[in-house]
Amino acid sequence: MKKDSFFQKDGVKTLLASLISILIGMLSGVVVIIIVGIFNESISAGGIWDGIRLVFLGIFNKARDAATGTLMFGFNPTYMGNMLFRAMPLILTGLSVAIAYKTGLFNIGAPGQYLAGTCATLFLALSIPTSSVPAWLVWLIAFLGGMLAGALWGCIPGLLKSLLNINEVIACIMTNWLSASLVTWFFDMSSLKNVLEGTKTGYIYKTSMVINDVIVDGVQTVAGSSIPEGATVLATRGGVATSKMGLDILFKGSQVNGGFIVAVLLAILFYVIMEKTTLGYQLKACGSNRFAAKYAGIQDRRNIVLSMALAGAMAGAAGSLYSLSGNTEFFWTTYQSLPAVGFTGIAVALLAMNNPIGVIFSGIFMSYLNINGQQLTNLTAYNEYITDVIIAVIVYLSAFSLIVKTWLNHKRKKKTVSPAGGAAAHKEEVQG
Amino acid sequence: MENHQTGSPEYVIEMIHITKEFPGIIANDDITLQLKKGEIHALLGENGAGKSTLMSVLFGLYQPEKGEIRKNGQVVRISSPNDATALNIGMVHQHFKLIDVFTVLDNIILGAEDTKCGFLSRKAAREKVKALSEKYGLKVDLDAKIEDITVGMQQRVEILKMLYRDNDILIFDEPTAVLTPQEIDELMQIMKNLAAEGKSILFISHKLNEIMEVSDRITVLRKGKYIGTVNSCDTNKQDLSNMMVGRPVQLVVDKKEATPGEVVLDVSHFTVPGRIHHRNAVNDVSFQVREGEIVCIAGIDGNGQTDFIYGLTGLERVSGGKAVLCGQDITRQSVKKRGSNMSHIPEDRHKHGLVLDFTLEQNMVLQNFLEPEFQKGQFIRFGAVREYANKLINQFDVRSGQGAVTRVRSMSGGNQQKAIVARELDRDKKLIIAVQPTRGLDVGAIEYIHKQLVQQRDSGKAVLLVSLELEEVMSLSDRILVMYEGEIVGEFNPKETNVQELGLYMTGAKRQQRREGR
Repeated sequence: MKKDSFFQKDGVKTLLASLISILIGMLSGVVVIIIVGIFNESISAGGIWDGIRLVFLGIFNKARDAATGTLMFGFNPTYMGNMLFRAMPLILTGLSVAIAYKTGLFNIGAPGQYLAGTCATLFLALSIPTSSVPAWLVWLIAFLGGMLAGALWGCIPGLLKSLLNINEVIACIMTNWLSASLVTWFFDMSSLKNVLEGTKTGYIYKTSMVINDVIVDGVQTVAGSSIPEGATVLATRGGVATSKMGLDILFKGSQVNGGFIVAVLLAILFYVIMEKTTLGYQLKACGSNRFAAKYAGIQDRRNIVLSMALAGAMAGAAGSLYSLSGNTEFFWTTYQSLPAVGFTGIAVALLAMNNPIGVIFSGIFMSYLNINGQQLTNLTAYNEYITDVIIAVIVYLSAFSLIVKTWLNHKRKKKTVSPAGGAAAHKEEVQG
Repeated sequence: MENHQTGSPEYVIEMIHITKEFPGIIANDDITLQLKKGEIHALLGENGAGKSTLMSVLFGLYQPEKGEIRKNGQVVRISSPNDATALNIGMVHQHFKLIDVFTVLDNIILGAEDTKCGFLSRKAAREKVKALSEKYGLKVDLDAKIEDITVGMQQRVEILKMLYRDNDILIFDEPTAVLTPQEIDELMQIMKNLAAEGKSILFISHKLNEIMEVSDRITVLRKGKYIGTVNSCDTNKQDLSNMMVGRPVQLVVDKKEATPGEVVLDVSHFTVPGRIHHRNAVNDVSFQVREGEIVCIAGIDGNGQTDFIYGLTGLERVSGGKAVLCGQDITRQSVKKRGSNMSHIPEDRHKHGLVLDFTLEQNMVLQNFLEPEFQKGQFIRFGAVREYANKLINQFDVRSGQGAVTRVRSMSGGNQQKAIVARELDRDKKLIIAVQPTRGLDVGAIEYIHKQLVQQRDSGKAVLLVSLELEEVMSLSDRILVMYEGEIVGEFNPKETNVQELGLYMTGAKRQQRREGR
């Protein structure tokens, strides 16, 4: 048996295929920037050049020089940290889609699971009084509760698929909207709506905000962080946020927190489960050939539900960690739209070819494009939709990357044509 | 050997020094095939020998890298099936290309319709088809729909399709694989009639009996190479199989008298509901299998054998009756539980037997990855898995590109089947269910699998074999049960019956009155 050289390894080829897709996607973005620049009178040649640089390097941008107006580049801890912060939910929803895919299921229900996680987490984090329960414990309960809610929401299409053989895509789409409406309804009834910050209506309290339940003149009311004079404090809620875990020192002025580390750990955990354990083996066997799994005595129905539950838990964790970061706000009238982060998870998983470790990097990459798009909007006459175009092209091409991989395979085969022993293998190919 | 540099008009088709490469493989390596007018020329070879590729080249589906094709001594270029049709070359594919909901007549004229002012005119066509079917003894009902007629008749429709297009070079790609013994006899007669009328026939097969019976000359291919062309009257089955495999092959299964012992499997009044129709797929089936014997269920495909095995192995639910395996009622047990006493070589190796995108070693432990031998605290013991897989690979001679880490999808059908056989036999269970264990395999692999099954029988295992190949049924089994429309219609001792008698029971023409409780 001949040992494969570095470039002939399957994993390396997968990575190369993804990188080629990314490169083509970025170049298409450049083409769009140039075309838009040419036809838009307010953009000069210099503006086009700025746009191109920002698409690639927006994250290293340090604003325009006050005197000359030229862009300055260098390490920018705020953007870098924000990139990781935004990558966190993307990694988790990407993980959600990837896990389901390994079991042969297409989890398009990540947005609904994300909302379920958000809802459970906000309720738990803002309702358990931190005056009697330590804040770290409230955080943990809220996080686990969010994951559980996501898992339960993922179970619904899983159960429908395994018991009644209803296509999971349809069930997922319906549960998405069910979730959005339910969440809206729950918050509409709740006392967690943020009406105290003057103009801010329609938002839920941030989890980091301290809320006091007080009695003023014998009447119980909810006070914000400030306590009115002469009031008696009944209980204190809120003030729960994910620990920064020192990341705030590394990335000054950014929103990043320990949630990113949790996301990365979960990705590694799933890599281990999928590749090293009997559970992963069973899930993959079900995904790859459900009939053979059944033949071998693997409980295919149970595994389908389990896989959707795990996928839902990850999407739930994404929503949970995002709201627990403390400074994020949740606009509760969601029934008009679903969280985009859930759908972007599909792109993240596709780009990573459903590899849990790959998801970490593709999640970061998506958020990098996002930050660059923001820079483009802030500093030039372009808008951030250019980056949406790039992401769209990359998503298309990541499906294409399988073709790129086949092409890479082909190149290798041509080099090593062996006359002997190949005829049998060929017959399979032709029949297949 | 004849000199094939000069185009001789003696040959109606000549394929000279054909070389066809695919990435990584040479499927046809310098192959020469010459077809005389009015002869039946058999193309013999194992799976993957390059027979189908060669015929695809002739039919215009592939372009060869080297070599040329001549018709009546003239060099021709065939770059698409349309070119082939224009040269009067027709092909009956292994899987028929018919439209189920069309009538026989419509299927025959499809693609070569006569029209009048844009409207289909069937009248002339009907006359022509009628004349052809009378001339060659091809009995068909022109107004029946394809879905309502037998496989044998469907094949006759395919042949009529070729004749309707005035083809005089007819390619038959493994035509007998789907037929009953009686239908095979009819087909042989039809082929002889066609040749007598001056049609030239290329006949692809790996069944030696048929080739010896019907062909005039035989060309043998092995691993993409040309081995030789012989006259049928100058050769015999043993020589042919040696040429085909490249080593001496044992054609007859060598086995001692069976010594049946305790009852291992006792099936009584077993009933499995049909998946499509309302009537039962398996109806009130009762029999026993003892240790040390091979019991075979014979029958034409689709008579309930598959459903019976699904019910017995737990892949489908059973609606009545019961099955007792080693003293345990398994009728309602899970697949996993049943697996503790039975191993199962499934009918469809791609659907049930293998996870094609897994590696060979992952497939080798598909049934027993949960055993403590292969896992510790739910973590797979990769070292143990590799060691076990390599043991089986060596023991059962499973060949693949990269050994234990080969993707099973890239392996040949024979080796995929060997991998399943290795996995199932090594599990060492009391009952072995083997469903068409040699389907689509070549002589060498068949010989090997038959030997293994007999060996298992001799070591005291009970073997339940389901097979569509009567030759296999006759040579391997100790007892034969014939299944027709979901019922056992006869029980035979292979020494006291013959293929013709079995054929009558398989087609429902006869049935035995079986004693109750068997």
